[in-house]
Amino acid sequence: MSALSVFVLALILYGVGIILPALSEKREEVGVLSGGVLGALGAVLGVISSLMALCTSNTASVAVPTPFVLPDCALNFCGLSALMVLVISVVSLACSVYAISYVKEYLGKGAYRIAALLNGLILAMMLLVVVNNALYFIVLLEAISLTSYFLVREEGSEKTVKAANQYLMLSSVGSICVILAFAIFYVHADSLSFSAFHHANLTGFQSSVIFLLALVGFGFKAGMLVFHRWLPTAEPVAPSHASAMMSGVMVKMGIFGFIKVAIVLLGATHAWWGYVVLIMGCLSAVFGVLYALAEHNIKRLLAYHTVENIGIILMGVGVSMIGIANHHPILAVLGLLGALYHLMNHAIFKGLLFLGAGSIIYRLHTKDMEKMGGLARWMPYTALAFFIGTVAISALPPLNGFVSEWFIYQSLFHMSKLGHGMVIAGPLAVVMLAITGAFACMCFVKVYGVCFSGAPRSEAAATKAREVPMTMRLGMLWLALLCLVLGIGSPWVAPMFAQVAAHVAQVSTITVTQGALVVPATNQQAVLSTPVITIALILLLIVPFALKAFFRGVRLSRETNRTPWACGYDYEERMSVSAGGFTQTMRQMFAPLYRLRVWLDPAPTLMETLNKIPSVGSRRLEGMSAYYAYALIVILVVLLMSIIGVK
Amino acid sequence: MMLGLEMPTAGWVALAVIQAVVMLLLTPLFSGFSRVMRAKMHSRQGPGILQDYRDIIKLLRRQSIAPSTSGVIFAITPMVLVITMLLVAMSLPTVTKVSPFPISGDIITDIYLFAIFRFFFSLSGVDSGSMFAGMGGSRELTLGILVEPIFMLSIFIMAMIANTMDLGHISLHMANHYWTMPIATILAGVACAFVIFIEMGKLPFDCAEAEQELQEGPLTEYSGADLGFMKLGLGLKQLVVAQFFLCIFFPWGKASSLNFGGLFGATILLIIKLFIVFFIAALLENSMARVRFVKVHRVTWIGFAIALLALVAYWFGL
Repeated sequence: MSALSVFVLALILYGVGIILPALSEKREEVGVLSGGVLGALGAVLGVISSLMALCTSNTASVAVPTPFVLPDCALNFCGLSALMVLVISVVSLACSVYAISYVKEYLGKGAYRIAALLNGLILAMMLLVVVNNALYFIVLLEAISLTSYFLVREEGSEKTVKAANQYLMLSSVGSICVILAFAIFYVHADSLSFSAFHHANLTGFQSSVIFLLALVGFGFKAGMLVFHRWLPTAEPVAPSHASAMMSGVMVKMGIFGFIKVAIVLLGATHAWWGYVVLIMGCLSAVFGVLYALAEHNIKRLLAYHTVENIGIILMGVGVSMIGIANHHPILAVLGLLGALYHLMNHAIFKGLLFLGAGSIIYRLHTKDMEKMGGLARWMPYTALAFFIGTVAISALPPLNGFVSEWFIYQSLFHMSKLGHGMVIAGPLAVVMLAITGAFACMCFVKVYGVCFSGAPRSEAAATKAREVPMTMRLGMLWLALLCLVLGIGSPWVAPMFAQVAAHVAQVSTITVTQGALVVPATNQQAVLSTPVITIALILLLIVPFALKAFFRGVRLSRETNRTPWACGYDYEERMSVSAGGFTQTMRQMFAPLYRLRVWLDPAPTLMETLNKIPSVGSRRLEGMSAYYAYALIVILVVLLMSIIGVK
Repeated sequence: MMLGLEMPTAGWVALAVIQAVVMLLLTPLFSGFSRVMRAKMHSRQGPGILQDYRDIIKLLRRQSIAPSTSGVIFAITPMVLVITMLLVAMSLPTVTKVSPFPISGDIITDIYLFAIFRFFFSLSGVDSGSMFAGMGGSRELTLGILVEPIFMLSIFIMAMIANTMDLGHISLHMANHYWTMPIATILAGVACAFVIFIEMGKLPFDCAEAEQELQEGPLTEYSGADLGFMKLGLGLKQLVVAQFFLCIFFPWGKASSLNFGGLFGATILLIIKLFIVFFIAALLENSMARVRFVKVHRVTWIGFAIALLALVAYWFGL
């Protein structure tokens, strides 16, 4: 059986996984269960097919004939597409299993819809990464926007609907930029297939315009800084497993689209493109984490961290683009390797953290961290999984977040030695990445500490907290396990990413492993071995334990029954450090940067203008009605273009 | 031509482990030395130089008591602190010219191993449930944010000068061609020394004579053997960061191969160098006024400016 046929089977399962729950309004339990099980099975097949494609590494493409006058739908299943399918599948496996119990919260409130929509979202993403045609790409991009829009507004409160409408509006602005970029391609390539786009005869100016349109358009989709506004408003109100899917995977569609246009189709011909992407990446990373630090709402905080990690991925992409433009194949592969590795890692640990947050919300019914506290005692599995996610996202060795950031550091070092502006750009980007790391460390000490450590900070935390059902635990532990595998197993995983990166950048691949060592193309620059570090850390435990045994003497065993010291007063639970208090000094020190948030953000102005234009009579167009208007206009423009024969 | 880095042989690993364990055993000597220096500068009698050995041995014999609000993180942190610092200590090229354990000798890996230390140290404070420990954790991390860019940039410039990210090879390069870029080296050295001074937990940032509870930071709730290991971990970190600085900026007098004579001489020289570093740090520490914590960033930006100047100097090839 070929990889492609397994993949098609996965797609069919997802298709059934949409239809069955959608038809089961009367018997929601059945719908939820079938949606979850079919989604999980589809995800398993997705993992198998993508691994098969990545291992064989030959291009598998097939043209699917369509009955309409529409162009043939070619599927292209190799390299980057296969990697993206893998990313989607591993996270959706966890989310589908998790959903079986989690969605019970929504029984009677549209649980069957959530199950169907989630499978729809996954199906649309799986198709998006393999289609080889701009028309279908745009249609699927819209399908992703719409399914996620309905997932966001599922809760139905006024605030939720408002957030969802804003999301749809911003997403559509992104779509328009992407459509315009593809339109320019189409005019010059005379075809809608990506293979034709690749050979389009574009002038330098035209390709730069396409690049900028793609950066803005996919920037909206990915939640890059200044276009990120929808992330912290829309994601927190969606059901948590849907947030995990959106924040972990859906935003990566923006990165995928950007890599596709800027590197695969345009060939990253100008060095300044790379610098622009690198700068945007640095800013996203630093500001994303800075804003995350000030949040008390656990899901908003995680959403801001997505902005940060998108920034880190873009840094790698930027370095790679500079490498391609300056004809440094090693730099091109190294940067993209770091970016793709981090893309996968972020999908996994952000999915894990959102599922962990969902587990807390499932029990406590609050997103406010100040009302949590001490949960590790009552929810040990959740705490363990969440802690692994915390360590991974803080980029601490030997977990996966560290390995991908290490590659990005190595690519920046490689870049710094190549002369010109790179001598300054490299070290400054390194500093930005280091600051981001330090901020993330603080932020996640806060998150884990305030949620899981110390004493319960509210009545709910003290009484309602207990371990979540088995399927939810399984979903989280699967992702936690992947954090360990992708981190400690880096010498065996990295070559796969290097191969994909080399394939995308169209250069020969580089050496990234040497036995159990990971090396950045050359072993003179640096080496890293996460398995050896793990073993060394475990073995080094002998030293303190030996000391402890040597001085055992008459020592009594450890006791944990005292109250913390409170200067002689009686200890109370509310004395423990709060999320706000923990970061207060820091927020004071960086106050000017927080003020930037207000005028750096174009979203409010954009929303105001957009809200003003489409008002028909006294009725304001927003949400779906605005979306219909947008679709209508796009169709009219396309028809008009075909009538007057723009080629 | 520079040699590539490979998996170390058994002999080198043995040296690395011995080096790390010896550093752990020397830790109380240097923290004791700091206490003696402080007492001298305060014109008091003070404890003897071996006092910290007596303290730690006493603590290790005692029962650990933890608050009922504390969890697993609180319990494992003392061990985590010691083993991460031991791992960094293994990689330091302090008595040999190259790193005996280059696996953890990459500067990025080292900086992130320091991050593990900071992460667990602060989290243990929050995990104890005590407000003072929590505040201490917050301060520790805030300080980390302020010094991380300076540390990263100054070390990164040295890596660019030496054309490698490996600590051992940077040290080797500095030993052989010290003056390739003198101004950049000196400026980076000043910035790095600034960071080392802060990372050693010295004034004016650590408020030694402030409220007892705040000063203790995440240590507040520790007792007995656990406190002993926390103190060992913190002391070892001082020793490790001091050597991190020494092996980049003062890399002379080290053994080039694994022979006893060379290693012995290098060890003696290293201990002298370390005493000088701790002596200077103690002089600075005890003759400075303290700064309010919220104003610390005004001081650290100066350090960052120096590191930026080093980058500019590097750019011009100075």
